[in-house]
Amino acid sequence: MFYGSALLFALVIALFALAYLRPAWVTRITPAQWILGGGLILPIPILILLTGTALVLGEQLLPKGDAPLRFGAHAERWQWNFTYPDGEEMAGEVLHIPAGQPVDVAVTSADVIHSFWVPRLGGKIDAIPGHENLIRLEADEPGIYWGQCAEYCGPGHDGMWFRIEAHAVEDFAALMEEQQ
Amino acid sequence: MKTMIGTPLVRLIAGFVIWAVGFVVLYAVQALGCAYGWGDWHRPVLIGLYLLALIPLIWLAMPARAGAEDGPLHMAALWANRAALVAAILVFLPTTFASLCI
Amino acid sequence: MSRPSSPLGLHKQLDAIWRTPPGLARLSSVNHTILGKRFMALALLFFAIGGLLSMLIRAQLATPNSAFIGPELYNQIFTMHGTVMMFLFAIPMFEGFAIYMLPKLLGARDLAFPRLTAYGFWCYLFGGSILIVAMLAGVAPDGGWFMYTPLSSKPYTPGINADVWLLGITFVEISAVTAAVEIFVTILKMRAPGMALTRMPLFAWYMLVTAGMMIIGFPPLILGSILLEMERAFDLPFFDPTRGGDPLLWQHLFWLFGHPEVYIIFLPGAGALTTIIPVFAQRPILGYRAIIAAIVAMAFLSFGLWVHHMFTVGIPHLALAFFSAASALVAIPTAVQIFAWIGTLASGRPRWDIPMLYVAGFFVVFVIGGLTGVMLAMVPFNTQAHDSHFVVAHLHYVLVGGFVFPMLAAIYYWLPHISGRQSLYRLSVPAFWLILIGFNLTFFLMHLTGLMGMPRRISTYPSNWGWDWLNLLSSVGGFILTMGFALVLADMVLQFRFGARFRRDPWRAGTLEWATATPPPSYNFASIPHIETRADQLLPAHIGPTLAGGNGYLGFARNGVQETLAVDMMSGAAEQLIVLPRRSFLPLWTALATASFFLALLFKLYWLAPFGALATLVLFLFWPLSLGARTDRGPLDIGRGLAVPPDVEAPDNVTVLANRTALVMNGTLFASLLFGGLFLLVVAPNWQGTSGPILPLWAGALALVTSLSAAGLTVVAGRNPGATMRLRVSLLATLLMQILAMALLTLAMSALGDPTGHARQAVAFVTLGYAVLHCGLGAVIAAHALWRHAQGYVSARRRTELALARLWNGYAGGVVILALGLVALLSMSGSAP
Repeated sequence: MFYGSALLFALVIALFALAYLRPAWVTRITPAQWILGGGLILPIPILILLTGTALVLGEQLLPKGDAPLRFGAHAERWQWNFTYPDGEEMAGEVLHIPAGQPVDVAVTSADVIHSFWVPRLGGKIDAIPGHENLIRLEADEPGIYWGQCAEYCGPGHDGMWFRIEAHAVEDFAALMEEQQ
Repeated sequence: MKTMIGTPLVRLIAGFVIWAVGFVVLYAVQALGCAYGWGDWHRPVLIGLYLLALIPLIWLAMPARAGAEDGPLHMAALWANRAALVAAILVFLPTTFASLCI
Repeated sequence: MSRPSSPLGLHKQLDAIWRTPPGLARLSSVNHTILGKRFMALALLFFAIGGLLSMLIRAQLATPNSAFIGPELYNQIFTMHGTVMMFLFAIPMFEGFAIYMLPKLLGARDLAFPRLTAYGFWCYLFGGSILIVAMLAGVAPDGGWFMYTPLSSKPYTPGINADVWLLGITFVEISAVTAAVEIFVTILKMRAPGMALTRMPLFAWYMLVTAGMMIIGFPPLILGSILLEMERAFDLPFFDPTRGGDPLLWQHLFWLFGHPEVYIIFLPGAGALTTIIPVFAQRPILGYRAIIAAIVAMAFLSFGLWVHHMFTVGIPHLALAFFSAASALVAIPTAVQIFAWIGTLASGRPRWDIPMLYVAGFFVVFVIGGLTGVMLAMVPFNTQAHDSHFVVAHLHYVLVGGFVFPMLAAIYYWLPHISGRQSLYRLSVPAFWLILIGFNLTFFLMHLTGLMGMPRRISTYPSNWGWDWLNLLSSVGGFILTMGFALVLADMVLQFRFGARFRRDPWRAGTLEWATATPPPSYNFASIPHIETRADQLLPAHIGPTLAGGNGYLGFARNGVQETLAVDMMSGAAEQLIVLPRRSFLPLWTALATASFFLALLFKLYWLAPFGALATLVLFLFWPLSLGARTDRGPLDIGRGLAVPPDVEAPDNVTVLANRTALVMNGTLFASLLFGGLFLLVVAPNWQGTSGPILPLWAGALALVTSLSAAGLTVVAGRNPGATMRLRVSLLATLLMQILAMALLTLAMSALGDPTGHARQAVAFVTLGYAVLHCGLGAVIAAHALWRHAQGYVSARRRTELALARLWNGYAGGVVILALGLVALLSMSGSAP
C-alpha cells in the first residue's frame, strides 16, 4: 500500500510538473483522455482490487465460530481489569494468554468509551458501556506485548497502559492450574 | 412524475438519490436482520434489495431514447447517473459475501 | 426614476441608497461585501487562536514526559484547537468567502436575504465569543472536538465545559444554517439574466452543491447537540446505556454530520481552484460537465462514509463493507477533478504566478492526504491506525491540503479585489516555502509515530519507544509553519498599505466579479449585465466600464429602494424584480435576543430561556414589516426594453423557495430524530422488561384530525385570496385548530410516563414536543398571514404569506402523523430479543 501510494503521488506530481514543462506529447492528450484516463481508468481497478483484498482479509480476522478461550477485558477510568475464561480476575493490569493460538477478548466498559489496543497483536476494538465487543488476537511468540487505551477517555487517558503476557501453551496451562 | 424526472436538476441527482435510499435501506435491513435474528432469510432479502435498487439505476443510466428531451444539463446528468449505477453495483456488492452479523 | 448622464452620477445615486454610513450605523450593515469581509476577518482571527493552541500542543508533545501543561489543560487545548479550526475557522471562512463572492460572480447586487446574513454574522460572533471566553475562564470544553458520550455526559463532565461546546457551537451553527439556505437560493434565483445554469461558473456549482450538503448535513449535528444538552440539563437519557440510551447514537449523529463536513469544507476550496487554474492556464476549464457530475457524485458518496469513523465500535463486517467501499469510491470523483485541473494546465498555455505556487502546494499536500484516506478506508488497516497519530496526519493533510492551501491561493488571487491593490510579492514566496516545509515536517512524521503506535490525544508519552525525535521534529516543523503563516499575514497587511493600485481585472480573468470596480462599490454593479456565453469566459475589463455607465439592466436608481433581479432557475431568463430590505439594527437585536436564550441555558436560568426564545420570535415577526407592497403594480421596467413583475407578485419568489429549503433542512432534523428513536429501539441495551410510553389514543387521534384540518384550511385560504371572508375564516380556523392540536399533544406528552426514566419515554416526549412546536409555528405563521392580509399586503397576486402558511401548516401536519407513528411504535413493540 505504501509503495503504491508513493507511486501514485509521484505520478500526479510529475503530471503537474509536465503541465508546465509542456513536452509535445503532453499537449496532445485530449480533454476526454485526461478525465477518462486519470479520473476513471487509473483509479477504478486499483480501488476495486484494494477494497476487495481488504474485505477478504477483514473476513479472516473476524471472531468467527468458537475460539477455544475467551478472556474478559473490562475498562474503568483509568485502568483495565482482565479475567480468565473461567471468570477469575487477573492481578494487576496484565492479561495472560497462551501464545500460538487464537483467543477471543470480550471488551466491556464500566463508564465512558475506551478502546482496547495492542499495536503488535492487531487492530483495536472499542469498549462501549452497554455493549460487549469481541476481538480475536493471536500472539505468535511468548512474550510481553504493550497495550493502551486508544479512545480518549478523560484526564487519565495518557496513563491507561496495560500489558499482555503471552505464555507457551504448557506454561499457560500451569498458570490456569495455579489459579484454581 | 414523468415531468419531474424530465427536469434537468432532478435528473442530475436522481441516480444518487436512489443510491442513497438503497444504501440506507440495506444498512437498516442489515441491522434489523441481526437484531431480530432473521437467520437464513437475511442474506437473500439483502441481495433481493440490492438487485431491486439496480433496476431504476440501469434505466437512468441508459442514454435518452430518440425524441426524448435533450436538455442542456443532459450529459452531466447522464454521467452522474452512470456513476450512481457503478457506485451501487460496487458498494452494495458485499451483501453477497461479507459476514452479516459479526 | 431618473437616468443620470454620467457613470459618476449613477454611482452617487446608487451609493446613496446602498451604502452603510460610518460610525455606529456600521452595526446595522446588511451589505454582503461588508459582511463577507467581517466573516473572513473573524475567521482569520479564530484561525490565529486555533494556531496558537496548536503551538501549545506541539510544545507539550515536543519531549517525552513533558510537564509543560498538565492533562486537564491539555485536554481543553486539543478540544478547543479542533473545535475552533472546524467550526469557527473553516466553515465561517468559506461562508464569508461565498457571501462576499457569489453576488459579484453571478451578477447580483446582494444576496437574497441581506438581514439574514447580518443575523448569521452576529450569531457567529456571539457563539464564538462564548467559546473563547470560556477558554480564558478555564472552563473550555475538554471532551475532544467530537464530544463522545458518555464522556461528555453529566456524570463524567459535571462542569459547564460540555455545555459551552453544545450551546456555543449550536449558536454558531445558526450562521451556517442561514448561510446555506441563502447561498442555495441566491445561486438558483439571483443570477444575471441570460446566465442559464449551464452557463454558471463552476465556483457557483461548487457552492450550490456545498449549500445542498449543508442543508442535509448540519441538522443531524444540531439534533445531536440538542439531545445531549437535554440529557445534561434535564436528565433525559438518550445516550445513557443504563436507561435504554446508547452512546453510539451520538457517534452516528455526529459523524452523519462530521464526514460530509469534510467535503463541505473541501468543495469551496476546490471551487476556488477551479476558478483560479483556468485563468493561469489561459484556457477554459476542461470537462465542465464531468466536473458537475463529479461534485454531485462526491456530495452523495460523502454521506455514505460516516461509519468509517466508527470501524472499531463493533459493527458487523457487512455494514463496514458498505462504508469501506463507499469511502474508497469517493476517490474517483476526486480523481476526476484532479485530472481535470492538471489537464487544463497541460492543454493550455500556463503562466506562473503566486496563486499557482499555492495551487502546486495543494497538489502535493492533498494528494498525500487522499492516498492515506484510501488506506484508512480499508477496514483491517483502519482498525490498526484508527485514533493514532496516523489519523491526525491524514486529517491535517486533507484539511490543510484541501482547504488551507486553496484558500491561500484564493487570498493571493482575490485579495486585490478586496483591497484594490496588487500584492507585493516579496514575502509570498518565502512564506510559501516555510508553510510547505513546516507543514510536511510537522505532519508527515505523524504518519510514522502513528504507525509506531502513538495514540492521539495523549498529553505525555514514555521516552523509550522511539517516538522522541519524531515528535521533536514535528514540533520544530510546527513552529516553521507558524512563521510561514505570520509572513502571509504580514504580506496581507503590507498589500493594503503599500500595494500598487490597478484599474480592473489584473489577472485577465473570465468571471464577472472582476467587472466591478475595486474595491467594489456598495451596490456591486451600476447595472446588471446580460450574459450570452458561459460566464467563466467573459471579458471583465471590457464589460466593467459598460456596466458602470448604466448600459445593462437596472442602470438607474428608482424610488430610493434597493433593486436587483431574479431569474428563472434553469434558463436564466429575467423573471422578477427583487426589492431588498435596507440596512437595519433588527438583525443585531434579534441576535442579542437569541444570545439571551443560549446564555440562559448555559447558566442554567431555565426560567429565563423561554423569554429569550419568545423575544427572538417576536423580533423575527418585525422583519417583514418593511417588506411587501399594498398595491399590485404589474410588470416594471428593468431597462434594455424588458419589464418584469416585482417579486411579491411572483408565485415562486425567493422567500417561498427559501422556506421550502428551510423545511427540507427542518425535515432532515426530524428524520434524524425518527432515526434516533428507531436506532435505540433496535440496538440500544436495557430495553428488556421496561414498559413503553402510554399514548392516550383519543388525544393522539384528535390531534391528528385537528392538525391535518389546519393544513387543509390553509389550502382553502390560499385558493382564492380575493374572497376576503373565506380567507379570514379559514386562517382563523387554522389558528384555532393548531392551538387545539398543541393542547392535545401536550396532554399526550404529560401522559407518556416519566421521560427521565427510560430512553423510550424520552424519545416519545421529545418527538411529541417537536410536533407541538411545529403546530405552534403553523399557528404563528397563519396568524401572521391573517395580520398581513388585514394590513393590505395580501391580494390575489401578492400571496407569499398564504404560500408560507400552507407550507408550514402542511409540514406540521406531516410531523404530527410521523411523530404519533413513532410514539405508537415505541409504545407497542417489545424490544429486540
